[in-house]
Amino acid sequence: MRTLRLLTVGGVIAYRALFNWTTPAMFVGTLLVSPVFQLLFFVYLGRTLHVGDDLGYLVGNAVLSAALACVYGGTMAVANERRYGTLGPLLLSPLRRAAVFGGRALPYAVNGVLISAFTLTVGALLLRIPIGVRSLPGLALAICVGALSCSFFGLTLGSIGLRFRDVWLVSNVADAVLLLVSGVNVAPAALPPVLRAAGALLPLRHAATAAREAAGGAPLARLVPPLGAELGLAAGYALLAIGLLALFERGSRRHATLDVL
Amino acid sequence: MNPVRMLLLGTLLQVKQQSRSPLEITISLLVPLVQATLAVYLFKAGTNPPALLLAAVGAGMMGVWSSVLFGSGAAIQNQRFQGTLEILMITPMRPAFKILPITLATGLVGLYSVVATLLWGVLLLGVPPSFAAPLWFVVAAPVCVLALGAFGLLLASTFVLLRNANAIVNPLGYPVWLLSGMLVPVTALPGWTGPIAAVLPTTWGARALRAAVTGGPVWPALALCVGEALIALVLGAIALHFVDRRARVTATLALT
Amino acid sequence: MAGELAIEAVGLRRTYRTRTGWLRPRRGSVDAVRGVDFAVARGELFGLLGPNGAGKTTTIKMLNTLLTPTGGTARVMGLDVVRDTRAVRRRIGYVFGGDRGLYERLSALDNLRYFAELYGVPAREQRARIGALLDAVDLTGREHERVEGYSRGMRQRLHIARGLLHEPDVLFLDEPSIGVDPVAARELRAMIAELSASGTTVLLTTHYMAEAEELCDRIAVIAAGRLAALGTADELKHAAAGRRVLSVEAYGVTDAHLAHLDALSGVRDATVEVSGQQQTLRIQTDAHVDVQPAVLRELAGVRLGRVETRAPTLEDAYVAIVNSTRAEAAA
Repeated sequence: MRTLRLLTVGGVIAYRALFNWTTPAMFVGTLLVSPVFQLLFFVYLGRTLHVGDDLGYLVGNAVLSAALACVYGGTMAVANERRYGTLGPLLLSPLRRAAVFGGRALPYAVNGVLISAFTLTVGALLLRIPIGVRSLPGLALAICVGALSCSFFGLTLGSIGLRFRDVWLVSNVADAVLLLVSGVNVAPAALPPVLRAAGALLPLRHAATAAREAAGGAPLARLVPPLGAELGLAAGYALLAIGLLALFERGSRRHATLDVL
Repeated sequence: MNPVRMLLLGTLLQVKQQSRSPLEITISLLVPLVQATLAVYLFKAGTNPPALLLAAVGAGMMGVWSSVLFGSGAAIQNQRFQGTLEILMITPMRPAFKILPITLATGLVGLYSVVATLLWGVLLLGVPPSFAAPLWFVVAAPVCVLALGAFGLLLASTFVLLRNANAIVNPLGYPVWLLSGMLVPVTALPGWTGPIAAVLPTTWGARALRAAVTGGPVWPALALCVGEALIALVLGAIALHFVDRRARVTATLALT
Repeated sequence: MAGELAIEAVGLRRTYRTRTGWLRPRRGSVDAVRGVDFAVARGELFGLLGPNGAGKTTTIKMLNTLLTPTGGTARVMGLDVVRDTRAVRRRIGYVFGGDRGLYERLSALDNLRYFAELYGVPAREQRARIGALLDAVDLTGREHERVEGYSRGMRQRLHIARGLLHEPDVLFLDEPSIGVDPVAARELRAMIAELSASGTTVLLTTHYMAEAEELCDRIAVIAAGRLAALGTADELKHAAAGRRVLSVEAYGVTDAHLAHLDALSGVRDATVEVSGQQQTLRIQTDAHVDVQPAVLRELAGVRLGRVETRAPTLEDAYVAIVNSTRAEAAA
């Protein structure tokens, strides 16, 4: 019970304290308007180059639009503790790290789902691309799973931020790399093997695949393998984040690297 | 007082300050490399691939715009955090002289990204460096970069006035990339976007660089780019004059 | 007469607008400064004291053109701060305490060169003047290092050098000694005194009474946005005139104790200051009453250290002034 409370209430409070983008202007501008423009950019680019179809670009980029909130949010969820000087008091807390930090990814995942849904809706309306009602459950599932794994990925980046000062640099690059290797805009087959492998190990590629399948009318059963892979990644990043946190915390006591100043 | 000397020294020092920032380097160097890779693979995959070089050059221009937009937003925000924005605004020079070096510097830092994406494309991605007018390119790239830096002054006036400059900055990346035809030709967009594109100096800058790659006259587009940038410069200076007064009423120069 | 004044504030006010909430924001306003009048003569070293949030920094920022007053007028060297902004800016320097206000990734020399340009220091004078200032603030030899590696004291000294580049007539020093170690603070005081002796008008805010008493010709106390007292350090001590101060070192005094002490007859004011484990009770009493036995009775059971009775200091006077304005505001 206490763990559950820590996961949810703690997560929401931490979200309000540490996410820098909750002012109305920031939220609308950065998290709602920006992804729509990103989607438009790639749809038009795809049209010009005659690669892929509009529907594929639309749903793929909608899934990808969660990345911004999840990657930066997850990073802020941990790294801002350092910036605000609250990391020390937090680490003195006797509660389980897994619950303290695990709960932090959830609000960002919810945020990511909202953004993906918004981007998808607005994109479909602006570009007049019809989406079948029967493909909605599959799309919703893909969006949720994608946002979840992306949030844990963000948390992993944030944990790295406990050890290395310039974590924003990492999240900026991570955001751009996801754009490149998620298979949303460049087909995985067109990428060199290294980037293709990176795409398979980073979040969102499998979720985007599932979303495309769903939009194309595939039954839910066909979505199980890609969504399963994405869920696996989510679990993997969650474990990695918590492992890194524990590692850096222990290391920090020895080397005094968590010193907030 | 010698205004040219002041602008030169100011720009030099702001380039120093910004190019020592890991974040600024990431935005203007690493992210454009990823974008160039994306653009080149996309263009390779396309059934109707225009010159791959255009993809690399376009990605470089995208980098310049990112640098001017995010760079001047971040630079002014950092100065607010650092407490230097107040110190800067309290000096007796005209406000444009204080802010223009910051935005010119972001343009110059963005020049890295043009060079980097070209080298990256040619050396690693196998893009043939087949410039129709290489000399024009060498002239046009720095001119574009300075013009965009000057255009940045107009943006910067809003960053000085509003405490939450990022809210304007973040959504302005993709639309400008899209509308100015950096990768997607302007002709592929709905007709109503034409007039908007025409008033953006980025459109003419991108067109000038494309002409240097594919052939055709470079100077008309370049002249329009510089002309629009100069107009933006004047408007920006006027806007800053009022912003300087307004910020003292709204108390937005400092964080507290 | 106006020509003799360096700073003149008449009915100075400043209200901030606030905004909280997401969808339906609540708007409100905070009166930071509510009508302040004072004048500083040329060459005077004028101190501005007051608790945190009392309006000191807001007042300074209105005088140095960073904020527009919402009411009243202010003149610096006879120039209106709102109308003649640039002329005022040319004549003033502004230095604040803490870590901020410098270009971190540039060297001290680059910082100074940049601001020399921005203050229009003629190119051929820059080198000599920067060199002399670096010497004066004891940074010669370290001027090529980036500021991010500087200690708090070095930053503070660089900040002061930057504020003096254009040889301002009026220097605003906003808590310059904050977080500076005692030796550096002493050097800082010597530097301020020297500046004042050379004819620069200085407006200084500080939380350190000893600093204010040592340096300032006159002191103004601002509390709750209003001028609560104004005069020389000796004149201010009259606020506590007719009083004695009983100072008691103690360990474990509670709020209940404090309330009882406050209620004792003859006690004008009882405050407690905590440093680590130790508390220092400061009980201001009417000079003719001896409250010591009554106080000790109230504190029965509390571990006590040194107990002494003394004449009030500037700090006691300051506490008395601030507390009486608080009591008025509460009434």
